[in-house]
Parts: sequence; structure tokens; C-alpha cells
Amino acid sequence: MTLSHTPYGSLSAKESLDVALVLAAFEQQPAVLFIDAGVLQLLPDSQTPSSHKHIGKIIAALDMYDINQLWVEQESLDYFGLTQEDLSQQVQLIDRSNVAQLCAQFDQHLVF
Amino acid sequence: MAGFLYMSNLNTALTSALPSALPKAGLTYTVLVRAGAEQQSQALSAFSFTKELLLQGHQVLRVFFYQQGVHWASGLRVMPQDELNLTHLWQQLSKDSGVELGVCIAAALQSGIVDQQEASRYELGHHSLAPQFTLMGLGQLAAASADSDRLVSFGG
Repeated sequence: MTLSHTPYGSLSAKESLDVALVLAAFEQQPAVLFIDAGVLQLLPDSQTPSSHKHIGKIIAALDMYDINQLWVEQESLDYFGLTQEDLSQQVQLIDRSNVAQLCAQFDQHLVF
Repeated sequence: MAGFLYMSNLNTALTSALPSALPKAGLTYTVLVRAGAEQQSQALSAFSFTKELLLQGHQVLRVFFYQQGVHWASGLRVMPQDELNLTHLWQQLSKDSGVELGVCIAAALQSGIVDQQEASRYELGHHSLAPQFTLMGLGQLAAASADSDRLVSFGG
């Protein structure tokens, strides 16, 4: 799954993570790739608008659901001036030029 | 003028009934509709694609409506007379082909799309789910996509 939405700008981040959790519950072994503003979902101290669930809590639950392939696109991190150390989870970095190759390893690819 | 004629032909294809005997061949598909009324052309593409799959004899295990796509399952949408009502088109396609129209229950409830059972559970005065659509969990998307050769997503 590719996630490209900000954590709270719309419901998309929450709804895409829900799909990831359900796929994992159905033993589909999803991997998650964060690109563009999606990398902001991995910031540990983001402020949560009161009407929303904290995206960080859902992200933290991914590991419990055995979703342990978390990828982050290097260029997206660079764009926001972030490094791997700024993120809440252990992730694998991938260059934009290798993303297509990564996606090709999976049967299905959902882009949010 | 040419564009206008093209559109009218397109609409004829969209609203025409499916033949009673469809060819049997091809792949199994799950179609995920995430485009809502704001993304009209993507939502229309989802419908046209699904209908064409059925016409070509592919099997569509389930059409699943999620995110903004749940709005197509509202039985309370009224379109201007000269515009297509996609909700009606989906209903007719489901009647003609038996294709299942599943709607994410969590997303639907938040958008005011409730069936009779949920309306009484939450003591709501009304229900709004259009006939032929069924509320179900996200797990039914996972299950269908796991059993499909292809998962095709529209909008989002």
C-alpha cells in the first residue's frame, strides 16, 4: 500500500491505515510505503485535532498486526527536511527510482 | 456537436441493459470505488469499467464502496433530470448481473448512510441505504481482493 496523505488534512490517512490493519487481520501481509506528505504520518509528536484519533497510535499498532515492512521514500523525507531519526517507527528507506521495483514484488497495490 | 453526440452515445451504452447470457471467461475482479460525487468522472469510470468487465465475461466478486464512494449508496440522492444517476445505474447493474454492491459500514454510518437495522440500533428516525447495496465491514474488501486476480481502485 502506498500512503501519501497528511495525517489530519482529511480522513484519508485514517481510512488507509484501517485498510492496512484489516488486510493484516486477513493475513494478506501488507507492506506500507509512505511517500509525499504521507511521511508526516510518522512524526511522533504531531498535534491531534480534538475530533480525530491520533494517527500515531494507529501507526504504533501496525507492528502488533505484524505489518513490519514499513518503507519511506527518501526524496519525500528530504523534501520535508526530515531524517530517519525523526520518525516514530523503524522504517526502511527507498529511493524513488526503486519504488516501481518494490511495488512489482506484490500481487496487489493500493494507492491512497 | 461531435462531442455532444459522443456523450449521448456513451450514455446509451451506460444505461443499456446487459444481455441475458454473458460469455464466461477471463479473470476475477474486485472493484474498489473511493470516488464520490465530487469526482464524477472517476466514479463514472468505475461504473463503466465494471459493466464492461461483466460484458466481457469476467467475474466481479464484489464492488466495494469506501471513503467518498459510500455516497453512491444513498437512496436519497436526486439528480437533475438531464444528468445520470449513478446510484440507479449501479442498482440496475446489480439487478441484471447479480454483482454484489458492498458498502463500508463505518464510512457509511459517518456519512448518514444507514440501513433499517442500523437505524433501529442507533435509534435514528430514518434509513437511507439504497436497495441492492449492502453494508459490510472492511474485511469483506480484504476477503474479496484476496480471492481476486485483480483489484482495481477508482478515486481517492
